[in-house]
Amino acid sequence: MVHGGLLTIAFGWAATSPPQWRPLGPSIIIILVLALAAAGVRWDPRAAIFYLASPLWLTVLTISGRLEPLGLRSQIPVAGSLLGFTAGLMLGGHMLLAAAVTFGHRVTTDSFVLTAIAYDAGANVPSSELFFRGAVFNRLQRRWSFVAAVTVATAMSLVRYLVDPLLPRAPEVILGTLVYVTLLGVINAWLLWWSGSLLPGLIAALVFFAAYRMVAAV
Amino acid sequence: MIARLQIAGLLALAGCVIAVAVLAGDATAQAASPWRHAYALPVIVGALTFGMIGGTVTALASLMTQAPILFIHVESVGLSAGTLDELVSAAILLVLGPLLGSRVTEARRQSERYATILALQETLADERPLRDALETLRCRLGSRLRADVTLAVRDDDQWIMVGTHAFSGETPPGRAAATAEAVFVPDTGREARPRRVLAAPLSVRGETVGVMTVERAGEFPAGERRAVVVLAFHIGAALENARLAARQRRFADELAEKVHAATDRLAALDRAKSAFVAMASHELRTPLTALVGYSELLATRAFSTDEVRRQAEIMRRQTRRLAAIIDDFLDLSRLERGEAPPLRLADVAVGPALTAAVELLGGPQRTTRVVIDCGPDVSAVRADPQALERILMNLLSNALKYSPAHSAVTVHARRAAAVVEISVEDSGRGIAPDALPRVFEPYFRAPDALGRAPGSGLGLAMVKALVEAHNGRVHIDSTLGIGTRVTLQLPAVP
Repeated sequence: MVHGGLLTIAFGWAATSPPQWRPLGPSIIIILVLALAAAGVRWDPRAAIFYLASPLWLTVLTISGRLEPLGLRSQIPVAGSLLGFTAGLMLGGHMLLAAAVTFGHRVTTDSFVLTAIAYDAGANVPSSELFFRGAVFNRLQRRWSFVAAVTVATAMSLVRYLVDPLLPRAPEVILGTLVYVTLLGVINAWLLWWSGSLLPGLIAALVFFAAYRMVAAV
Repeated sequence: MIARLQIAGLLALAGCVIAVAVLAGDATAQAASPWRHAYALPVIVGALTFGMIGGTVTALASLMTQAPILFIHVESVGLSAGTLDELVSAAILLVLGPLLGSRVTEARRQSERYATILALQETLADERPLRDALETLRCRLGSRLRADVTLAVRDDDQWIMVGTHAFSGETPPGRAAATAEAVFVPDTGREARPRRVLAAPLSVRGETVGVMTVERAGEFPAGERRAVVVLAFHIGAALENARLAARQRRFADELAEKVHAATDRLAALDRAKSAFVAMASHELRTPLTALVGYSELLATRAFSTDEVRRQAEIMRRQTRRLAAIIDDFLDLSRLERGEAPPLRLADVAVGPALTAAVELLGGPQRTTRVVIDCGPDVSAVRADPQALERILMNLLSNALKYSPAHSAVTVHARRAAAVVEISVEDSGRGIAPDALPRVFEPYFRAPDALGRAPGSGLGLAMVKALVEAHNGRVHIDSTLGIGTRVTLQLPAVP
């Protein structure tokens, strides 16, 4: 519901910019998709595949130009996407290294990882990036400076992850969340500012969370 | 040059990171390695090469590289003096990078500002037209500020604009010009990245002489905006200096031109006076010679009564001619002192005045006919009889002087509204167009008239002065090879 709420607010903000459109229908569809996927996963983890309907619906909305105010366009920024992938890989790699070397966590790739990655790809990453970067940061940077906008947007996303009931309460996880979510927020905001597209940030976040799921699955 | 330095810095940075990772990455050691201070090297290189961003990124990268090792030490031995030392070293690096980087960035900005001011002074000090200078300045400012720059400058009554920004009442430059205050628009809302626009007035002594508009995609921090406003002030001052310098140059050119023209006029006047002295001597000598010759004849020889009368008549005419020349000199002298010729106004009938003037000039030896066309409806004029006689005598003698033998000089007189118009027309060779505007100037004689006919160069000047003293007007028309017509208008008796 949190992800659906964040995406609905992001859609609402996008719909107020030209070309204006009615956000109710697309919001209901995305909420239904996420709710169905979440319910399905409770019944069978393989139902996580339904989370992938969310990025498909977002792609449809992107091609129709309705998410352009959030930084999603039909053109793919190749250099930005590569940079986003590299940034996510470095951040995720560092997190894996620190978790393995410092805290002795084991890296795993069992089936639950795929379920979690599907959840990230369909709910967690799109909702965070579209809301905190696409809506909040993108709006604020048009009124304030980059530093002010990135500070507010990153602080908001940090609060959202820290209050997430799914986050383990171990001190090293809290510390890691503080460090990596902050860095990911700053990097993704810069990627959006630099490339003008939200796609590099989505890729960076997806790669990072994929790495995170490998640790969290321990 | 700067790009090469940055590439060199990047390579040095990469080398330092690798070296530090190898040297300081001993995670199994229980005590803090002295090599950990080598982490400062990439941070310093990053800050010195890339400024604020370089310092911050390398400091964060350095911290992230140290963190796994640092946490192992903290976890294994707790907060001992050694681990505290490591934590403080890491914290120092985290402060050092951004701090050093920000100083480097600020120093570079200052240097760029001075270079920009120098560039604009150089550009506006040129003696090129203002539009060309502004176009060059716009290009230079655009590359230095990494932005689209538009300059709108008021030049007397018109605005000169170079650049792409529209200039009207509602646009940022229009508002800046109207309020004399800088106008900042955080985003024009046209593109994915925010495009920020700053319009700064170019002011001189409180007066807005133009507007500079700077539009940039991305960041436009407050410090840079202040710098642009200061830059706009410098541009305003430089424009004013350039304008003053141009005005001084123009003034000096005009002065030199006037001095040159005055020198030419003085030289021409000097030549005219010299010619006049030579001519006047000749003009005075002719009647004097006649007077001396005939008086000697009368004194030394005995003649018949008729011969004595004839010689006396010649002497009388030469005396009148001498008196007329001296009158002209005196009147001219009076005119040059700014005094109007003395007039005794009376009602003078035009027809008889014309006939008398023709008779005074007439001798049986004259080969040119004078035809008078004066209808009975031509009324009298309000004029000094003697002055009118001198006017007509001058015009007629000129016409006769330059007319070919056996031709006719025509004198027309007619009433036109409140004036009587008298024109004297000859069929001489005419006056060249470039000499025509000067024929009423004292001492002036048309170059082709010199040596062809005697004359003082005072006749038409006197005619003009006398006609204008009667509140009349005179003008001359002439066509080379056809002839000349002088027309004068005198107030008619109502």
